[in-house]
Amino acid sequence: MMSNEELWQAVIAQIQLNISSANFATWFKNTNILSFNEGGVIVSVPNSFTKEWLENKYNKIIFKTLREIDPKIKDIKYTITKGGLKITKKTSEILEQINQLELLETGLNKETNLNPRYTFENFIVGPFNELPYAAATALCQNPGSVYNPLFVYGGVGLGKTHILQAIGNEIIKNFPDKKIKYIPSEKFISGIINAIKNREAENFKSKFKAIDVLIVDDVQFLAGKEKTQEEFFHIFNALYQKNNQIVISSDRSPKNIPALTERLRSRFEGGMIVDIGIPDLETRVVILKTKAQEKKVEFSEEIYHYIASQIQKNIRELEGCLNRLIIHQKLNKTPLDLELTKVILKNITLSSSKTASPKKIIQTVAEFYDLKEKDLLVSTRRKEIVFPRQIAMYLLRTENNYSYPFIGKKFSGKDHTTVIYSFEKISREIEKNEKLEEEINLIKQRIYSP
Amino acid sequence: MILEILQEKLKQGLFVVEKIITKSTTLPILNYVLFKTEGNFLNLSATDLEMGIRWWGLSKIEKQGKIVIPSRVLSSFIGFLPNKKITLKTKDLNFFIETEKNKSQIKGMSSEEFPLFPNLITEETMVFDSFLFCRGLNQIIDIPAVSSSRPEISGIFFQFKKDHLVLAATDSFRLGEKKLFYSDFLKEKNIPLDKEYLFILPQKTAREIINIFGEKKRDLKIYFSPNQVTFEILMEETPFPQIQLFSRLIDGEYPNYQEIIPQKFTNQIILDKKEFLNQVKIASLFSGKISEIKFKINSSKEEVQVFSQSADLGEYHGSLKAKIKGETLSVSFNHRFLINGLLNIEGNQIIFEINGQEGPAILKSDQDQSYFYVIMPIKSR
Repeated sequence: MMSNEELWQAVIAQIQLNISSANFATWFKNTNILSFNEGGVIVSVPNSFTKEWLENKYNKIIFKTLREIDPKIKDIKYTITKGGLKITKKTSEILEQINQLELLETGLNKETNLNPRYTFENFIVGPFNELPYAAATALCQNPGSVYNPLFVYGGVGLGKTHILQAIGNEIIKNFPDKKIKYIPSEKFISGIINAIKNREAENFKSKFKAIDVLIVDDVQFLAGKEKTQEEFFHIFNALYQKNNQIVISSDRSPKNIPALTERLRSRFEGGMIVDIGIPDLETRVVILKTKAQEKKVEFSEEIYHYIASQIQKNIRELEGCLNRLIIHQKLNKTPLDLELTKVILKNITLSSSKTASPKKIIQTVAEFYDLKEKDLLVSTRRKEIVFPRQIAMYLLRTENNYSYPFIGKKFSGKDHTTVIYSFEKISREIEKNEKLEEEINLIKQRIYSP
Repeated sequence: MILEILQEKLKQGLFVVEKIITKSTTLPILNYVLFKTEGNFLNLSATDLEMGIRWWGLSKIEKQGKIVIPSRVLSSFIGFLPNKKITLKTKDLNFFIETEKNKSQIKGMSSEEFPLFPNLITEETMVFDSFLFCRGLNQIIDIPAVSSSRPEISGIFFQFKKDHLVLAATDSFRLGEKKLFYSDFLKEKNIPLDKEYLFILPQKTAREIINIFGEKKRDLKIYFSPNQVTFEILMEETPFPQIQLFSRLIDGEYPNYQEIIPQKFTNQIILDKKEFLNQVKIASLFSGKISEIKFKINSSKEEVQVFSQSADLGEYHGSLKAKIKGETLSVSFNHRFLINGLLNIEGNQIIFEINGQEGPAILKSDQDQSYFYVIMPIKSR
């Protein structure tokens, strides 16, 4: 199975031969394949000019090239995503030298980069994040001596950053003398690049080595950046040897981060690894209520339940829905009822329910196990098929709550007892087998990623 | 293509579109203007791929067609012609410009190579008085700084609220905010917006908007769409677009700047704007490379002392009378930032509120509540 990246590389390699290099540089810069499924490809482009141009001028050749690689492709769509404006001028450096003070950004602490808003007090604990919470709070009592490094991973919008920042803020409270630094790994990467460019790499590293608690967010972005990984490795070692605390987050577990050097992976795995799961309905309702309270608004119970039942996998999206309702209520100055809520949130809920269609689930499972979709659906007892099929059944049940007979029908009319058996078997396995649980979480992530 | 148009009109059109043409070496076609007939109109287009401008002018069209022409030679040439009827013709890729006494032939290129303009997709629209809109925009246009690490602050932040538009800009050392109340100049032209719209407009686009629409007292229509924003004015003679400018937006979340606007102050100073500006300008002559001007705020004497010093040049002392609240305090500011803010404040009196030597200060007018300017001091040494 080709990755999106490889697929697009194949396309542009082909196109490069057919058009002038100036045109190529202009129209194919910052383009890539956003998604690829069911015979449809979505190409992301940086601006509307590129969109028009690719749609109208190069669509044929792109289509042809894609079909040569995969004849199933029937349709190409182009969509504008962020590309970042080209910015060439540099900020005046003199200003910084002469002690010109900067406006503090939203209460962010300049030394630590921590936002005081993220604390354990406003962190909502549920079955899905009990373990990371327990590990994090224990760590704050005695940083550096237990759970070092602490590696927190979980899907998008489930509160990784919150827990990391809360650790920082709690340690400041407990140990005001400790030097703490929170850094998103993208910032770390650009810091390293700049330091190397300005020949200040040593200086950069020694600054980090003087930190007592280093918190690095979204470490998966280090993937494939070997030079950065190397520098990070040295910083990591220096801190670790001094028993200084390191906290790391990622959207997946260390072994699932591609292109991570072995020595860094084994360092990450050397401490405590905890994952944040997906909150259950009750917890989602509590989260909504708490957020509403923070914003000093109130909605009816049924509205909270409606949002929580529609948005299942992402706390940030929950908050997004809530914000939409708040804006609407403010503008119209009338309290919302459930009907109106449904209308306002129609787009959001539509898209989230669409992505979990049975087709999508089956297809994702097949892809994950490197099988063809129809393999999963036909009747066979081949072992390499049976297991993925059981997983697909399990997901259809847990994610969409379909009835056992309905699921059976999808799989060439299997009896509902077979489905129940599969569901129970996978449920039991997950309890025992951590690796399987993670595997299923990865599949879920793929199902729900756009 | 064969058409006739007045020199004056064509000159105006070229003037509008050619501004955004930047010399592009990678894609030479971007140095060209697209000439295209559309019914009874001549349409000119230019783009730098981040924004695009289209202009339409009524003209007598005999034969439809299109061609792209290098902008530089063209606008200079048109500028020299008398304000009379001009005939434009194309033959293959040659462009003929003829008047009674002049004849020229310019080599063009095929319009096939010219970037395609996206369709105007729109959710809602909003209409402003172009003169007042641009005047408001002008009050903060110089503030954003081009920063590669924080592209979101390199543009102007637009927030269309229910009854007013908030414009904000910062370069992380200072921040300006301007409010435009719909009721001040919209009359009954608009239906209230369904949604709030937020976007970050590149500074370059904002400058073009001021250049193009700032002098005209016309209806400026804003079209909102997901990835871009379009500004449009119609012709005076017929309800057809005269100029459309569209731009992509800067991706990112604008900082929640409300939180840094000072609500309290240690010192409040009320000054005569002209006199204050004058003192700052004089002091700036001696402030040297680092642009620092020191103020000593003496509440018992009701006086602000101004001091600047340069190692090469010498020094300056000045003073001015003011109404002062708070203890005596010394504080330094960058004169460029101060002057830039002061020039944009309307009214005769300035309210200058300071928060010690290292806190954010705010400048505002005693009369006009729609504008303020937050500025950070220079750390005194």
